[in-house]
Amino acid sequence: MEKKFEKFDLSKRFISMIKVDFRRMFTMPLYYLMVGISLVIPILILVMTTMFGGETEGMTSFSNVWKIIGSVSESMIKNSPSMSGEIDMLAMCNIDMMVFAVGVLVCLFINQDFKSGYIKNLFTVRSSKVDYVLSKTLVGFVCGSSMILAFFIGSMVGGKIANLSFDLPLGVNAINIVMCLICKLGVVLIFVPIFVIMGVVGKEKLWLSMIGSFGVSMLLFMMVSMIAPLNANFVNVILVLVGGVLFSVGLGSLSNLLLNKLNIL
Amino acid sequence: MNAIEIRNLSKVFGQKTAIDSLNMTVPVGSIYGFIGENGSGKSTTEKMICGLLIPSGGTIKIYGKDYKDIDVRAKMSCLIESPGCFSSYSVWNNLMLQATNLSIPNPEEAVREVLKLVRMEGAASNKYKNCSLGMKQRIGIAMALLGNPELLVLDEPINGLDVDGMRIVREVLLDLSKKGITIIISSHILGELEKIATHYGIIRNGSMIKEMTSEEFEKECRTFVALKTKDLDKSRYVLSNKYSRVEKDEQDYLRIYDLVTPEEVVTYLYSQGIVINEIKVDKIGLEEYYIDLMKEKEY
Repeated sequence: MEKKFEKFDLSKRFISMIKVDFRRMFTMPLYYLMVGISLVIPILILVMTTMFGGETEGMTSFSNVWKIIGSVSESMIKNSPSMSGEIDMLAMCNIDMMVFAVGVLVCLFINQDFKSGYIKNLFTVRSSKVDYVLSKTLVGFVCGSSMILAFFIGSMVGGKIANLSFDLPLGVNAINIVMCLICKLGVVLIFVPIFVIMGVVGKEKLWLSMIGSFGVSMLLFMMVSMIAPLNANFVNVILVLVGGVLFSVGLGSLSNLLLNKLNIL
Repeated sequence: MNAIEIRNLSKVFGQKTAIDSLNMTVPVGSIYGFIGENGSGKSTTEKMICGLLIPSGGTIKIYGKDYKDIDVRAKMSCLIESPGCFSSYSVWNNLMLQATNLSIPNPEEAVREVLKLVRMEGAASNKYKNCSLGMKQRIGIAMALLGNPELLVLDEPINGLDVDGMRIVREVLLDLSKKGITIIISSHILGELEKIATHYGIIRNGSMIKEMTSEEFEKECRTFVALKTKDLDKSRYVLSNKYSRVEKDEQDYLRIYDLVTPEEVVTYLYSQGIVINEIKVDKIGLEEYYIDLMKEKEY
């Protein structure tokens, strides 16, 4: 006689997994620390560079607060390192660098599953790992988004303290700024699956997942300002979101495959 | 019907074969004592049953279905090596997390229930990192009991437990077994295992060397005559002259393993001028049986 078991379908598994992950993330001091850092960093950058006059070798101070959010695509091409031969370090100190912070958070989050042994509790009752990968991607995206928003708020506060100009650059309006922010959030969706796969590959070896995440992020970092400029429009939003979904699906499937084919412990 | 059926299971790590053509049958509702020395492959087998390691070959069937079956696995639970808790969380929060993971409808009540079962109600608010080893083991058992699993895989669950802790675990496991839950339990504390196991599996170098029920074990256990005298050394010397295997045990009993009755021994020792204080017929325990079996397999 065959024993009947209650169905544990994907939606049920996904909901329980998401609840676990959100519960964990929102009770994790590191998350609040990262959001706090995301809030403080732009204030420090804007205030400090304005305070010291800014014009040092290879660095120019922020004349306009929007510069820390993104660059206008045309000027970006004209002033890009490859065109001018110089790297403006300050131009790289903008909201885009938050992807590295998201990487740290996601890698640590996944690493804790393996290091604590909690992964055994998760995977003993889950032979399919789709829900795990999906949940981690979603949680990473939500946390990354909150860090991006914290950085944005910090930039506004910093700009006010540093008394910087809030005038929008030529050809940029309020809608572009909103689109740009949506694009930045979309970029998080592109990067999070990379961090998830690195976390899964690294398992309890945090250094491995960190190095992997940083390495791949470095390769893709310059692309961020290109696909999410300050004068972003609807096309940019669609492009970034489609890219985000494709990365999530593609790399998510790869993470799932790795978890199914490799030893968990 | 069998809860677990393993056929020709193998696991290779690089050049090392950890599990070699292992066969294992665990009947539904049994408490399966999984015995073997360190590095014999107990934990590796258990990890493969739980899907935490990928087998290199062979099949694992759980309730007649492939071990990867989603619905079957949802009713499994394990305690392997450590409970898998977050050290900065309280005992309560760790259990709540697992209750959420298992989609238990009323998680608070379920957590309260398992804490009561392992007698840890008073420690719910303690941080996991501040718990003693014995407490951690009990938390691990509580965690494994969440969600009313059909199959429990426990790797050394009584390690680090005090006498009372062992008794609690024993009672809990016997209760679960009565409810029809299948339990696989590996332990080095064979005396404790002997009190609860209904089936045994003995593994050596990654292969199952013996599987038996507790009744079969009883039949296979050799009997011996145990006695106490005032002068043990002299008695041992005298008995060794007549019987082939005479040993002194930890409780200072002299054991005669030859086929002999107590009456014969009393008569013989009396004729040698030795007075017996106590004499009884007993059976060897699981530990001795295991040691004998290991010795036997060495030759």
